[in-house]
Amino acid sequence: MLTLSGITRRYGDATALDGLSFTVPDDAYVSLLGASGSGKTTLLRLIAGFEEPDAGQIILDGVRLDGQPPHRRDIGFVFQNFALFPHLTVEENVAFGLKYRESNAVASAAEVAERTQAALELVGLEGFGHRGVGEISGGQRQRVALARTLVTEPRIVLLDEPLGALDANLRDRMCDELRAIRERLKVSFLHVTGSETEALTMGDTVAVLAGGRIVQSSGSRALFEAPLNASAAKHLNAWNILSGTVEKDKLRTNAGILPVPGSLSDGQSAQIALRFDRIDVSDAAQVPEGRHHFEARFLTGEFNGPTALSFFRTADGALVQVVDHLSSPRLPRLEEGRTYALHYRPEEVLLFEGAEG
Amino acid sequence: MTAMTTDLPLTSEKSPATVREATDRRRALMLLSPGVIWMTLFMLLPLGMVVYVSFWTQTTFAVNSTLTTASWERFLSSPTYLGAIGTTLRIWAIVLAATLLVGYPVALFIGLFVKNRTVQTALLVACVIPFWTSFLIRVIAWRPMLGTEGAINVILQKLGIISEPLTFLLFSEFSVLVGMTQIYCVFMVGPITFMIARIDESVIEAARDLGASFGTIFRRIVLPLSMPGVIVGAIFVSVMVLGEFATAASLSGRKVNLLGNIIVSQVGSLKWAFAAVAGVVLTIIITAVITLALRVVDLRKEM
Repeated sequence: MLTLSGITRRYGDATALDGLSFTVPDDAYVSLLGASGSGKTTLLRLIAGFEEPDAGQIILDGVRLDGQPPHRRDIGFVFQNFALFPHLTVEENVAFGLKYRESNAVASAAEVAERTQAALELVGLEGFGHRGVGEISGGQRQRVALARTLVTEPRIVLLDEPLGALDANLRDRMCDELRAIRERLKVSFLHVTGSETEALTMGDTVAVLAGGRIVQSSGSRALFEAPLNASAAKHLNAWNILSGTVEKDKLRTNAGILPVPGSLSDGQSAQIALRFDRIDVSDAAQVPEGRHHFEARFLTGEFNGPTALSFFRTADGALVQVVDHLSSPRLPRLEEGRTYALHYRPEEVLLFEGAEG
Repeated sequence: MTAMTTDLPLTSEKSPATVREATDRRRALMLLSPGVIWMTLFMLLPLGMVVYVSFWTQTTFAVNSTLTTASWERFLSSPTYLGAIGTTLRIWAIVLAATLLVGYPVALFIGLFVKNRTVQTALLVACVIPFWTSFLIRVIAWRPMLGTEGAINVILQKLGIISEPLTFLLFSEFSVLVGMTQIYCVFMVGPITFMIARIDESVIEAARDLGASFGTIFRRIVLPLSMPGVIVGAIFVSVMVLGEFATAASLSGRKVNLLGNIIVSQVGSLKWAFAAVAGVVLTIIITAVITLALRVVDLRKEM
């Protein structure tokens, strides 16, 4: 089990990580979701030991890691750009950690060869051992990077946007393979990504990094359906967030004055979240009984295969997105520039107290 | 469905691809020609001339174009001249080793440990500062340093480490080696620094992550990846040291005779045929050294 507590890392005046605490359980696939610049790569580099935290502790299986040099931490790191050794063949790349690590180096050439072959088979690269790393495709390089890390049997594997350099088809396939490989090896993977779909697909647990802290860490379904705070909801790219101040148990937002669940004191800041696919659209006069609504002008639609995304702007300037699943369409035909009523069931609303983060 | 027809009339004109290829070839020839003309006029022709002259007949005060191998025979049977070849090769080998020994750590520091590109450039420029003054001054500046009354001897005597001044410091092979190492070191540092700075930082981090210590990373990653720089630097240093005469002339007190010094003195006494023989021998040695260096590392593959 990897435990980080109170990790702070500053670069000059900028604080990348601000008292972050986080746990990666044993034998789990954890994805770490964060926008670019949120410090997710910094977090991995701190765990791997390429950088040291300004404050806080990193503890792996009860042993403190921070302060130890990277080559004594026994942690696997898969680089975004793969970082293969350009002068070595695929086989030599994979064997590097076995042959040259400072402690427990494998002296027997036969064992090195055997374990290298096993690692190449694990990632589906048998027969590629003698190729130079310049002579293989991007997807194959990704596999070499993975094999090179896994062959040393690290205690935890850190993957820094491992699929970022691959094209979409390959990415989907690698997603499945990464999960399968991890399940066979029973080692924890900590997978950093900026893509919410990738994070939700891969992780048994998904942690959201924002403002230098982990704002939520839960199962992927729980996170998607019930984010605990506005920061987490924002990263899922599936929630409209409207912030405002409370007035007589209602929230004054720039989408109008909206009812909120629960009672809050007047003048308090709060935000409500509405999921893209839980909003229906109709003419202003035809809002069904029992649903809350506000009015907004239809800007434009975006078709992306199985779903269609519609953009609305309220009179006060809030941008609202609505997703329609084309297999069961529920939106009427929309005219650009016309104003519609956007309505939703009262219980679909999530309320977050506090000002916009 | 709409079908698109692309039936263009067949013409006898050249296809655009052929025209483009011809343009490209013309451009390549134009880019190549200044270099080729220069090299032909000022290198190949003179080189041929030197070889030709080395077979001319040399008399005490004149040289005529009757072909003979007399100069070659004299050169190859004279212990003085064969000794000069030996001295040249020995000095070359020691200076090459010394520049590598002094230069590599400097290059490693600038290329690997200095992360800031501006500082890297500044440090490289600092290595070139000695070149802002003339060659002769750089060489002669060693005299007040190494002489019997020079800085090193004075300091050592003041500290009581020696009682008599060390005489081997100046006007010896030692001073020639020191002078040459200082002058040519920068030609070793430059190419190696560039190769080391080109190594992707994450490659070194990957090696650390895989459990390799600094020594192992240096041996298995940094050194192999910097080899092209070492070879290029070694070629620079070799070519310059093998043709050297000025350092030896001003720091050895005429005790060290390199092939270059022989050429200078023979030309000075108008022994053209003989100077030509030494020139040809020098060219053969340099060619052999470069060929050897290129054998060690396949630059085409590594660059």
